[in-house]
Amino acid sequence: MAAERVRIVALQVVSVGVLLVAWEVVARAGWVDALFVPAPSAVAGAFGRIARSALAGLGDTLLKTAVAYVLSVVFGVAFGVAIGSVRALREVLSPFVVAVYGMPKILVLPWIVLILGFGTAPAIVYGTIHGFFPILVLVMGGVRDVDRTLVTVARAFGASTWQLYWKVLLPAIVPTVLAGMRLGVVFCLLGVLIVEMFAGVRGMGHVMGSLANGFQAPELFAATALVSAASIAIVLALDVLNDRLSHWRG
Amino acid sequence: MRVPALRAAILVLFLLAWEGVARTANPLLYVPPSAVLPAFGRLLALESYPDLVPSLLLTLREILVAYALAIAAGLGCGFALGLNRTIGRAYGPILAALYAVPAVVWYPSLMLFFGLDAASKIAFGFLLGFFPITLAVLAGIRQVSPHMLVVARAFGARPLVIFVKVMVPAMLFTLVGGLRTGLALSVIGVIVGEILGSRSGMGALINHAYGLFRTSDYVALVLVTLVLIVGSDALASLVERRAQRWTD
Repeated sequence: MAAERVRIVALQVVSVGVLLVAWEVVARAGWVDALFVPAPSAVAGAFGRIARSALAGLGDTLLKTAVAYVLSVVFGVAFGVAIGSVRALREVLSPFVVAVYGMPKILVLPWIVLILGFGTAPAIVYGTIHGFFPILVLVMGGVRDVDRTLVTVARAFGASTWQLYWKVLLPAIVPTVLAGMRLGVVFCLLGVLIVEMFAGVRGMGHVMGSLANGFQAPELFAATALVSAASIAIVLALDVLNDRLSHWRG
Repeated sequence: MRVPALRAAILVLFLLAWEGVARTANPLLYVPPSAVLPAFGRLLALESYPDLVPSLLLTLREILVAYALAIAAGLGCGFALGLNRTIGRAYGPILAALYAVPAVVWYPSLMLFFGLDAASKIAFGFLLGFFPITLAVLAGIRQVSPHMLVVARAFGARPLVIFVKVMVPAMLFTLVGGLRTGLALSVIGVIVGEILGSRSGMGALINHAYGLFRTSDYVALVLVTLVLIVGSDALASLVERRAQRWTD
C-alpha cells in the first residue's frame, strides 16, 4: 500500500514536471506565440512584479467572499430549515426555489450592477446569491430526510418545538450543512470574481481582467495561479474541518 | 388542489408587488412587469433588435460546439482515468483539485488566447461542461459491480463486449445525469463568456441593452435567453428519462 502511494505521488510529480518542461521548451522554441502562452519561467518571474497589486486584489476579493459566504450560510441554513421543516411551506415554495436555483444567475448580473452600482456591494450581493441557493436546496433536502422516528420519539417524550429544532433537527442536519458549506464557498468566490470582472474597480477579478485587456500574459497566468491556489487551499481547509467535525459527531 | 392555487397566488402577488414598487420607485430601473410585455413583443417582432435571430443562432452554435467537445473530452478522460487504476489514482485528485477552482478564473486567459469572438466562449463552455461529464464517468465506473465483470469474463466475453453489454448499461444512469449537468454548465459557460465580453451573440445584445439603460429590452432579452436555457434542459431531461426507462 505504501509502495503504491509512493508510486502514485511520484507519477503526479513527474507528470506535472514533464508538463512544465515541455511547456517551457515549446514556448522557448517559439512554437507558440509568447504573447499568448508565456513560458513557465516567465510566469514565475511575473509573480514578483504583480505580487503587490495581486495580493491586495486577492485580499479584497477574499474579504468580499467571506462576507458573502457568511451571509449565504446564515440565510441558506435559516431558510432551508424553515422551509424544509414546515410541510405547507415546502410544498408551496419548492418549485419556486428549484426554478430560481436552476436559473443562471449571470442573467441578472447586469441588473444588479445597474441597481447597486460598481464596487463592493454588487459583488457581495451576487456572491451571496450564488452561495445561498445551493446551500438552501441542500439544507431543505437534509431537513426533509431527517429520520421521522427521531422526531416522533422526541415528541412522545414531550419535547417542545424549540427542543425539537435545537436538539433533534439541527444535530441531524450537521453533515448536510457541512456539505453545503463546502459547496457554497466555491460558488461565493465564483460570484464575487464574476462581478469583479464584469464591473469591478478593485479585487482579483478586476486585476485579471485588466491584465487580459493589457495583453500581459505572464502576469495574467501568475494571477490565475494565485487565485486557483487560494481557492484550492480554502476547499482543502474546509475538507479538513469537515473530517474533524464528523469525527467529533461520531 | 390547494397547493397549486397557493403557488399561483404567490406568483400573482409577487408580480403585483413588483409592479407597485417599480412604478412608485423608479420604473426605468426596476422594470415593472407591465413594461416587459410590450418590450417582449417589440423584441419578437424584431423591432428593438433586428439581429435577434442571428445572435440566437450564434449562441446556440457556440453551445453545441462547446458541448460536443466537452462530451468527447469528458468521456475520453473519464474512461482513461476510470479504467486504469494507477492513472486514475494519480490524476483523479489533480482533476478534483482543479474542479474546486471557480472556473471563471480561467476566463481572462481564454479570452486573451482565443480572442473576443466565438472561440473563447466555446472554450469556456467546454471547460465548464467537461468536468461534470468526466466525474460522472468516474462515478459510473465505480458503480459497475465487479462480480458482473468477473462473471462476464468467466463466460468468455471479450473486453469490447464487456464494455458494451455490462459496463455501459450499469453506469448509464449516472452517465446520462452527468451529461445533463454538463449541458447545463456548457450553456452557462457560453452565456457567462458572452456577457463578460463579446461582440455578438445573446450576451452582446444583453450588454448592449444594459449599457444603454434600455432596461425593459434587457429583461425581454433575458427572457428569450431563459427560454433557450430551459428548452435545452427540458430536452436533456427527456433523454435522461428515456435512459432511465431503458435501464429499468
